[in-house]
Amino acid sequence: MNNNKQTIKKKVKKHIPKDWLSELRIVYRITMETFNDIKRTGIVNLVIITTMAAILTIFGALFRTTLSVSSFAHELGNVLEISVYLKPSASAHAVKNRIGDIDHVEQVKIIPKEKSWSDLRREMEVPDIENPLPDTLHVKVDKPENINAVFNEVKHLSGVSDMSYAQELAKKIQFLNQVVNTTTLFVVFIVAILTITIINNTIQLVIQSRKEEIEIMRLMGVSNWYIKIPLIMQGALYGFVGAAFALIPLNVVQNLLNNVHKFFLIPPPLFAENIVITTMFFVGILFGAGGSFLSIKKHLQV
Amino acid sequence: MIQLRSVTKKYKNTYALKNVNLDILSGEFVFIVGSSGAGKSTLMKLLYKEETPTSGTVMIGGINIANLPSDKVPNLRRCMGIVFQDYKLLQNQTVYDNIAYVIRTLGISTKEINARVTGALKVVGLSDKLHAKPSELSGGEQQRVSIARAIVNGPPLLIADEPTGNLDPKNSMEVMQILDQINQRGITVIVSTHDNAMVDYFRKRVITLDKGEIIKDIQAGTYE
Repeated sequence: MNNNKQTIKKKVKKHIPKDWLSELRIVYRITMETFNDIKRTGIVNLVIITTMAAILTIFGALFRTTLSVSSFAHELGNVLEISVYLKPSASAHAVKNRIGDIDHVEQVKIIPKEKSWSDLRREMEVPDIENPLPDTLHVKVDKPENINAVFNEVKHLSGVSDMSYAQELAKKIQFLNQVVNTTTLFVVFIVAILTITIINNTIQLVIQSRKEEIEIMRLMGVSNWYIKIPLIMQGALYGFVGAAFALIPLNVVQNLLNNVHKFFLIPPPLFAENIVITTMFFVGILFGAGGSFLSIKKHLQV
Repeated sequence: MIQLRSVTKKYKNTYALKNVNLDILSGEFVFIVGSSGAGKSTLMKLLYKEETPTSGTVMIGGINIANLPSDKVPNLRRCMGIVFQDYKLLQNQTVYDNIAYVIRTLGISTKEINARVTGALKVVGLSDKLHAKPSELSGGEQQRVSIARAIVNGPPLLIADEPTGNLDPKNSMEVMQILDQINQRGITVIVSTHDNAMVDYFRKRVITLDKGEIIKDIQAGTYE
């Protein structure tokens, strides 16, 4: 059995170029260095990972909430329409085509005056007079913030007599969207600072405790990147493990938000969970490695 | 192999080295001597680029290392062995790991590392201490481990900065004999020391520094 293993090993080795073998050994040894460094950091690892998990949970939960609020705002925005009332002489189809060419217009629907009149008569009692209503166009816009621009363009078209839309609601939705976007940016900023600070301090401790060893490595001609990479990987690993632990509380938040979506009959945003989880891991790893990198730059003359 | 031309090193208002011109040929054994503060250590540090000269050129193997970018310094140091007065061994690692550390970073196979470490330990006579920690060794043995580490990569140049500074006469003699043997294998050896007995015993080229200047350069000289 053992002989077999040796034979296979020899056969495989034959087919790997020598340079590749060296590179693979270096990668393996750097990885082992990283794990050795983590092992030496001891109980402090737990503290760092717990803190990272807490920060990333807050980030993940807020980010997921942001996506939900954004989808609510979008749904509300979708029900917003501009009502365009046409002059009696205007051709509804001609105006419809011209409005359809305007940027940000998603849909234009003709409501003939006969339909409006019959709808009105169904809803309320009206005297039996000649239909006074004009033909109407219902214009749907892609985003609430574009409604005003479309409104102003349509206003100047010939054949348009009057227009209306829920201006206040559109403004509120637009404001809500802005608040949500600003909050997301703010949270990302705070998370970045917290993560980088924590990892920065941790790696600083590691560097301090290994200062003499690093100095000897440097004097003996160990490459700068061989000294740096394990420390950067250590920071990235804290971010990764912290994000993995943050998945547990994040799952609770995701379920809660899904229930809210179900209650309001608004579907949760597409791939929201995957987006949040991927971003959380990305943020954890990137800022973990970044914090480590900054610490190396500040405290290590390599 | 080594050429220093008009090398000056100045710290604030003090000259550590002043207009030093020096040639060391391949395969030579050179003692750098002088009293404390004469500039011996600064000269050694210039050779392994721990210091940069204020002016002048330091050529090693035809390359002016005074202008060497910092990312190339590890390459330079891997081409030479360096031995320090305080051994600079990793105390939490075994003799084997201390010697193997640098060559491990080069992607050399474990089999080859084993062979090289064993060979280097044989040269310094410590084959039986492979798994000992530095704290379990005497000062002389630790310095021999540091010499083994310096030669494990087969460098053409060995720089020893006060290698016997912390050792008793018996251990000093052993260490110097090992350096001499290494030199006989064709490796250029530069030793800074103020151990006059050793210098007088070995009768090698002696360069005397005083207040940062070379005041004497004698083949088969003595410490005066």
